[in-house]
Amino acid sequence: MKKSILKLTLLFSILCSCQSEKKTSEKEEYLRWVGDIEQNDQIDETEFKVCNGDDKILQYFNLGEGPVYSGEKSKIINMLKSKYQPISDKKENGLIRIRFVVNCEGQAGRYRVLQSDYDYQEKEFEKKIVYQLLNITKGIENWEVFKRNEVPVDYYMYLIFKITDGQLTEILP
Amino acid sequence: MKYFNLLILLFPFLSVFAQPNCEAYKYYGDTLKYDACKKAMEIKGHYQFSKEYQTVLDESLKIDPTFDYAYWAKSIAYLKSGDFVTWKKLIDKAVEYKPKEHLGYRGWCRYQFFRDYKGAIKDIEKLDSLVDYDIGQSQNGTYHLNITKGLCYKAIGEKEKAIEIIEKQIILNEEDNFVGAYDYLHLGVLYLETENFNKAIELFEKQSKDNELAENQYYLALTFKKLNKHTQYKSCLKKAKQLYIRQSRMFDSYSNPMDKIYLENIENELKTAYNKT
Repeated sequence: MKKSILKLTLLFSILCSCQSEKKTSEKEEYLRWVGDIEQNDQIDETEFKVCNGDDKILQYFNLGEGPVYSGEKSKIINMLKSKYQPISDKKENGLIRIRFVVNCEGQAGRYRVLQSDYDYQEKEFEKKIVYQLLNITKGIENWEVFKRNEVPVDYYMYLIFKITDGQLTEILP
Repeated sequence: MKYFNLLILLFPFLSVFAQPNCEAYKYYGDTLKYDACKKAMEIKGHYQFSKEYQTVLDESLKIDPTFDYAYWAKSIAYLKSGDFVTWKKLIDKAVEYKPKEHLGYRGWCRYQFFRDYKGAIKDIEKLDSLVDYDIGQSQNGTYHLNITKGLCYKAIGEKEKAIEIIEKQIILNEEDNFVGAYDYLHLGVLYLETENFNKAIELFEKQSKDNELAENQYYLALTFKKLNKHTQYKSCLKKAKQLYIRQSRMFDSYSNPMDKIYLENIENELKTAYNKT
């Protein structure tokens, strides 16, 4: 029993740390676009594929429709608020962004996590908080399919979670 | 309002911060900034997110690490991709070197992208204390910065203060024939929430004349509900649904505006309305 708990905790920490995006150096090499997420077979699901190639992935706002959610944002809010189990802790304050790619079929992959306090300084939240939010986000099966000139496109999307005293207070954008 | 709508239509196509006048730096003898500025102008034609755009600005900052414009321009892609850590480092530099030019922008972005209400208030109030001219509009042109400040006060629970700020700014906006697309609606919602129902109706009616929205009819319906006026309550909900379906609703390219509603809200309220009577 103890061994399985240990294994689970280890898996848990690996999962969270691998997908964390650290901003340690500002002099990193630029990719094609700011914020591009490359496939990493060690942490990303290999079955997830973009349809039109990495160099054609757009941003969610490039289509001029604003942040659109399949079933509207209220559905996402209700789902997150009902599934998230708050961790009551006065130290757990700040922003968590989970950014990912949505492909032309409305499936998501390549999730990355960024965390900061309310002064925008990088920090690490209690792993249980991050793990829950990541898992709930991964559980959203369908994202909006965006089209450009009638052709479905791949795009980057993100969710930002505002956490105050371990409670989920707002979901953006 | 018509000028306002035109501005909103044009905004996505404008680089809202005017390009700096490089020649002015030369005229004032700041050759370093002149060179940094000329280099920065090479971003023309490159997308804000691109490697080329960011690299040009890095080169500009190598020439003059105090060139605020380059920090500001670099920050935009990070803001829009939700990278609040890198965005904040860059925009803080721009504010440090030219506070009057960038404080209002930083305050607005804190609100629009991160719902950082206290941070936005701090920036807008700081700007107000530094200048003796009008602090101006939000970056996307939707609000006067004082309206933004009012909305932030509402979000932190100071509704009376929010009403006072927004009322005052709307009077000024009316004088300039430049009332924001959602100004009356927000004030109406504040009156509804503070149970000043007659004032709420007055504001929603003004919003209807100016820029009718699904949200406006929805909150008007809720006001009639509070006043036990069931016929108007139901009729407004039906109008709200029609408006929503034909896309007459609050919109922002990057986020969901405060007081925005969804079809689910209207439909749930319709169920309540028709179960009641």
